[in-house]
Amino acid sequence: MFRRIFSIAANTFRETIRNKILYAILAFALFVIGMTFFLADLSVGDFARIIADVGLASIHIFGVIMAVFLGINLVSNEVDRKTIYILLSKPVRRFEFIFGKTFGLSVTLLLTTLAMATVLFLVHFSYRYGGRAEVGIFIASAGIYMELVLLTCLASLFSTFTTPVLSAIFTLSLFFVGHLTNYLYVLGEQSKGTAVRWGSRFLFYLLPNLENFNWKNEVAYGGLKSFSILGWAAGYLVAYAACVLCLSCLLFARKDFK
Amino acid sequence: MIHKGLILAIEGLTKSYPTGFWRKPVRVLSDLSFEVRENEIVGFLGPNGAGKTTTIKILNRLAFPDAGKVTLFGGQDQGGADVRRRIGFMPEQPYFYEYLTGGEFLRLCGQLCGMSCADTESRSSELLARVGLSGSRDTAIRKYSKGMMQRLGLAQALLHDPELVILDEPMSGLDPMGRMEVRGIIRDLKAAGKTVFFSSHILSDVEALCDRVIMLHKGRKVAEGRVEELIGAETLYIELVVSPVLTHDRLAAAGIPPDAGYAQGALLVLRAPDNGQANRWIAGLLREGCTILSCVPMKKNLEEIFMERVGSSGATGAAS
Repeated sequence: MFRRIFSIAANTFRETIRNKILYAILAFALFVIGMTFFLADLSVGDFARIIADVGLASIHIFGVIMAVFLGINLVSNEVDRKTIYILLSKPVRRFEFIFGKTFGLSVTLLLTTLAMATVLFLVHFSYRYGGRAEVGIFIASAGIYMELVLLTCLASLFSTFTTPVLSAIFTLSLFFVGHLTNYLYVLGEQSKGTAVRWGSRFLFYLLPNLENFNWKNEVAYGGLKSFSILGWAAGYLVAYAACVLCLSCLLFARKDFK
Repeated sequence: MIHKGLILAIEGLTKSYPTGFWRKPVRVLSDLSFEVRENEIVGFLGPNGAGKTTTIKILNRLAFPDAGKVTLFGGQDQGGADVRRRIGFMPEQPYFYEYLTGGEFLRLCGQLCGMSCADTESRSSELLARVGLSGSRDTAIRKYSKGMMQRLGLAQALLHDPELVILDEPMSGLDPMGRMEVRGIIRDLKAAGKTVFFSSHILSDVEALCDRVIMLHKGRKVAEGRVEELIGAETLYIELVVSPVLTHDRLAAAGIPPDAGYAQGALLVLRAPDNGQANRWIAGLLREGCTILSCVPMKKNLEEIFMERVGSSGATGAAS
């Protein structure tokens, strides 16, 4: 089983790293991150903070673009190009296919996030006025990466039953909502209606809470130094991603390919 | 129940596809049942929309039936990995990962089938040579022609040395040379003890290759049997080819009516209704100094049987 998942993951990784659009997005992301070096000179006050702030925001935005763009096509491309016919006619179970595809894309996103984080780290380190070896950049990037993995799982869930365009809309909607679920909870708790309170609590636990992976502000203000913070976020990621992948597998298990 | 020698058994397969939220689903297969036995070559025939591809997809778990049952290798469920490992499948107009080379793709297939690297490499070399793609092993699949894709599809289906080979339109897209090679491969598979189940529109290939055929129309089986049984023992007429072409007077002298044949270049083609008539005509022709070039009893071919069966069950369907 693991060998088959690994083979599918390796093939997905190979497919995604040969995607020219991915390189175009990555090149533009690295360019924007590099430009923060000059942007800092134009700002007022804590120059290096601008580098970390804008740089991490760039990693986040471009990472989400890559995850959504690649994630929504994860399954639908295989179905449209009918390559899935050959794959699933082999002794491959459908959940192995979903897991393999998701893991393969997660490895690609790991490399792209690492590349962006490394460039940002070097830019920050080499900046003359207050620049330093900011380990927090890697911690915050790890958080961003975990968020991207969760978005990939969600995109692959949607791509098992709907078109790439709708998958993109659903995934991006969850991305935006996922950063607002804390507000949803707080607003719900302030309501006098029991139904509203329970409804908001239900949605708070049902929807992904992507703020669990967001440490950009802490890094920008120099308050994040320990990797231990990643533990809770990783636990949340594993639990939530497992649920999403199980749902994907359930939906995909009896799908007919016309 | 274990049936010795039974490789594939389909019982009461029914399948409908939804066509929209409000619209009625389209029935693609209706109560289809048949069996394929060990070491047979079985042809699966039907016009477009008959349900051949849907049946083949169900056999490969790419689609699921609404009702009915598929069992393989003497009663085993089709879902198990061990069962799947014993099946080779080539879809119609196969598509591959275009960024891989032919060799890389076969390596991936070998990994998915649980083959060792050494086995995969040796089988890949052997099969690529067999399908005429040895020189294209390291060429990116995006540069392959349609015929080369078809050949690679066949190679991946046979890579893990399956016992049952299911081929969906294996001849489509191939030139006459390619078709001949594929026919040779199918015959070799039978000689090696394998079972082959394939769909095709090319009836002459089916007639030449198959032990048995199953004809499908509008999702229902309209005929099944051995090719010679379907064609039947009955002789339609006896075709005589003679030289030279005789005038009407000389034909009359030989005892042959003038409308019994036609001239084809320097040859005269005659159709005798039965053996007795053919013997009398041959004697008359020899008296007139003709040379008898051939004398062949003509039977119905598969195409005529197919048209009869399909024609009698109505017009062509809508989905495949």
